[in-house]
Amino acid sequence: MACMMSNMSTLDALSPDWLTSEHSTGTSIMAVEFDGGVVIGADSRTSTGAYVANRVTDKLTKITNHIYCCRSGSAADTQAIADIVNYHLEFHEVQLGEAPLVKTAASVFQELCYNYRDQLTAGIICAGWDRRHGGQVFNIPLGGMCVRQPFAIGGSGSTYVFGFVDSNFKQGMNQDECVQFVLKTLALAMSRDGSSGGVVRLGIITEDGIERRTVLGNELPRFYEG
Amino acid sequence: MASTKVVNIPKGGFSFENCQRNNFMAKQGFPAPKAVKTGTTIAGFIFKDGVILGADTRATEGNIVADKNCFKLHYMAPNIYCAGAGTAADLEMTTLQMSSQLELHRLNTGRQVKVATATRLLKQMLFRYQGHIGAALVLGGIDSSGPHVCCIYPHGSTDSLPFVAMGSGSLAAMAFLESGWKPDMELAEAKVLMRNAICGGIFNDLMSGSHVDLCIITREKAEMIRPFEVANVKGERQGSYRYPLGCTATLSTRVIPIEIESTVVRPVAEESMDTA
Amino acid sequence: MFGQAILNDNLPGAKQHHWSPYTDNGGTIVAVAGDDFAIIASDTRLIQGYSILSREQTKLFKLSEQTVLGVSGCWCDVLTFTRTLEARMKMYLHEHLKPMSTPAVAQLVSTMLYHKRFFPYYVSNIVAGLDQDGKGTLYSYDPVGHCEKNRYRAGGAAGAMLQPLLDNQVGLKNMKGGVLPDITKEKALMVIKDSFISAAERDTSTGDGVIINIITKSGVEVMHFPLRKD
Repeated sequence: MACMMSNMSTLDALSPDWLTSEHSTGTSIMAVEFDGGVVIGADSRTSTGAYVANRVTDKLTKITNHIYCCRSGSAADTQAIADIVNYHLEFHEVQLGEAPLVKTAASVFQELCYNYRDQLTAGIICAGWDRRHGGQVFNIPLGGMCVRQPFAIGGSGSTYVFGFVDSNFKQGMNQDECVQFVLKTLALAMSRDGSSGGVVRLGIITEDGIERRTVLGNELPRFYEG
Repeated sequence: MASTKVVNIPKGGFSFENCQRNNFMAKQGFPAPKAVKTGTTIAGFIFKDGVILGADTRATEGNIVADKNCFKLHYMAPNIYCAGAGTAADLEMTTLQMSSQLELHRLNTGRQVKVATATRLLKQMLFRYQGHIGAALVLGGIDSSGPHVCCIYPHGSTDSLPFVAMGSGSLAAMAFLESGWKPDMELAEAKVLMRNAICGGIFNDLMSGSHVDLCIITREKAEMIRPFEVANVKGERQGSYRYPLGCTATLSTRVIPIEIESTVVRPVAEESMDTA
Repeated sequence: MFGQAILNDNLPGAKQHHWSPYTDNGGTIVAVAGDDFAIIASDTRLIQGYSILSREQTKLFKLSEQTVLGVSGCWCDVLTFTRTLEARMKMYLHEHLKPMSTPAVAQLVSTMLYHKRFFPYYVSNIVAGLDQDGKGTLYSYDPVGHCEKNRYRAGGAAGAMLQPLLDNQVGLKNMKGGVLPDITKEKALMVIKDSFISAAERDTSTGDGVIINIITKSGVEVMHFPLRKD
């Protein structure tokens, strides 16, 4: 999200934008379900105003071994939420004696995002694999709604690629097709959105856990560039 | 009679009792005075033997230089130091509080404190205050899992990276780090790069200035070098500004003589010098 | 009333955007007039926000062989103002077949500033020079054309910091001893140099260097010396 909240009380009104703005992940994030798992992906740019504060950010954050979240919005808010959900689920896993469901994780996310919706700027995609329901994607956008989707996109870059995903998504894609779908979508989003960029980080979550991949900026699929 | 009043020990945490009054006064056209800011250049990066942190030494209040040689490198733990940018009071208090908590944690666990612990403690505290504590930090240290550099923003977000820069001069410093940093640098190389990065801020950012301070943390020890380089020498004045005697005007004079009531003369025995 | 409620920027997350035609480019001017000379000096740093735009930009404009204008403030206004002033002086020269005297320039500056009373030039002016009798003279202005004749003056970014120093060292204010004779050129130069050195220590927008113009009946002599660069 390119949404910035300026911090008026503590910082000088004269100072440039990138000093006062909250640290924000103007982002492109995505997740797709496939039979046996999910593919998650994100760009790697963290910006403060016009300044790129981190060009190799990892926005795919681990919650449990089989559940990850893609973060968009305020970096501080989403990091704090992810830490809290991680804490709850680790505790839950011990009490339960088995790995938590993706739906459980999504519910905890949704509860925090909904209850504190006035104070938070967080758009989260929670995705993962569990023994009962296989690969699942839950989208928790700004207001604190939670909905399961066969695929989800989020962040400021997503607005540019809704048409692309709608026309290119096919039911029943295999793992490799999903990886290509995510990669193409993110590359398109990053090329149009000024606050998304850097490398593409991918994660493939299956029964075996996660396989992480990084596609460098010069290795991304290329499209019309004018 | 001696007072029997019990001394009130103030509760912990911040006091908000003047908020309403101050808001009212601000509306009446009496804004709160400005806090001292360290509109700063700070940076940190990983090199072969550990971590190096750097900072300039200027503190400002608006356009005025409040302190020409201030400390911006703070102690957190024997193996962790931290460079701070933002509101001076917030930085001082936050780092003091955190260093004491880390020491208690070390005594409780009997282990060397991890950089991740310090990071987590700081980010959770800063997040709780929603950015009102204006502390932007570069945390650097070495622990059982290796060297780490981490930057922490006032709102409570963190980035763990091999090289970071913060403060108003961070763009100038980052220009040097982006072009000069490489993995496994020797200490001598690292010092030069850090000096260049901080000097970039000192000379190109108005809110940064004076000297370069360094802190080098290796497995064996943490070493503070202050100043590492005197980047700016104080200008030498030509004139003498000592006033001649008697240039203060005397408006009126009154002499009150001390009356001598009695005089006592007591001879003092001569002491022999101690030559032992 | 309703409009004011909407404009209230105390709302959390609200941000008011506005654009200003003015910007502060810093700069400090110091001038001292003696019996048969006038000295005017400016620092050479040009800033915007937290950045340095130039380290060698003089803010002194030689208007004639016996008049120098020092301007600081909004640099675009400085340029516009000095260009217009130079044009007006040229018109005077052609009409009257003689260069403008320093008091005449001083009056013109005031008139030109007041001409823009409701959209002022965002500048701090000091005119230094010799009058028709060859005596050192100095005029200082506010942005809308108030003019004052002085013996010594500091203006611009560090003006408020330096004026008390000049009051004490040149004006000899609050010192027992009464009125002193006109300041010597050497003493004036020393005080000007030292005041810039001091300003560079504590004012972030003053630094890099100083350009000094010494105006005597033989013309304008230019001097330069460096300041700290942080």
